[in-house]
Amino acid sequence: MTVEELDPLIHAPARLRIVATLAALALGDSLSFTRLQDILALTSGNLISHLRKLEEGGYVAIVKTGGGTASHTTVGLTPLGRAAFDSYATALNDLLLGK
Amino acid sequence: MKEDGEVFDTVEEDLDGDLDPSTASVLLEQSTARALRQFNVWPPLLLLIGSILLPFALGAVWWSVRHQHPYVGPTGGALLVMYSVIIVWIIAVSVALRRATSGIGGGSVRQRKIEGLGMVGMLIAVYVFQGALLHAHVSHAIVYGIYPVTAPFIFVGSAFALNSAVKEDWRKVAVAVPIIAVALAAAFTGPVVAWLVVGIGLGVTLLGLAVVQLRERRVGLPA
Repeated sequence: MTVEELDPLIHAPARLRIVATLAALALGDSLSFTRLQDILALTSGNLISHLRKLEEGGYVAIVKTGGGTASHTTVGLTPLGRAAFDSYATALNDLLLGK
Repeated sequence: MKEDGEVFDTVEEDLDGDLDPSTASVLLEQSTARALRQFNVWPPLLLLIGSILLPFALGAVWWSVRHQHPYVGPTGGALLVMYSVIIVWIIAVSVALRRATSGIGGGSVRQRKIEGLGMVGMLIAVYVFQGALLHAHVSHAIVYGIYPVTAPFIFVGSAFALNSAVKEDWRKVAVAVPIIAVALAAAFTGPVVAWLVVGIGLGVTLLGLAVVQLRERRVGLPA
């Protein structure tokens, strides 16, 4: 196992924090964009760009409801994203143990 | 809101690469632990507050009945103190719950609401049954002593333990079982001492849970 084999979609500081935070939710739950931003202390633009990458990879589902000032965005880990996170955590652990 | 000493204070948020495995591992653990703390509906501070408030509330009732021979029941003043303290505790729990679950949507939120309603319904049934006992002229020692201080914890605690076991949430089961055991033991101590036993038992259980969470935080486990 080498660093290059770690999932590049997750193996980046901000995205690792995003995915780890969403994985702490119960299965099937989602989190509002504002709460996620508050927990991670990322700028809005930064968070959006990383979420888009994760969404393109099918790891997160972004749902926007309402419109204008009343719009509400929620983010949740997809089953694929949760499985990828679990695999990443296992692979990282194996790498550190020299397996 | 960043916390001191955490790895992600120093990482570049907008860069993709150059994350060594050991830093990634620490980052993963910290992010998970922080998220779980944020979503924890029973934070240590709340448990510590409960470990003081609940023994105080039940202790006030014990104080009012400690010299009663025969047993009549708690005085109005003691009940006022108990219910006032319990209301303060319920408000504290509600604030913690709202803070922890803010922005969270999905199945677990709906499930928690249903569970909450179920617990409230069961609690109402326990007290309605207390009325039936009174109606049947059961002694004051039972109706105003042993029953009200033990039955809610035995029945609601058992339902909570069962529900947690079904979900394989063994930590919650581990909290419920001692509370049920204390309430069952208290039922054998008589109508006066039962208030004190349940109060101390609740206090010790909540304090123990708070200590466990704080120790987990210290060693870096998600609490």
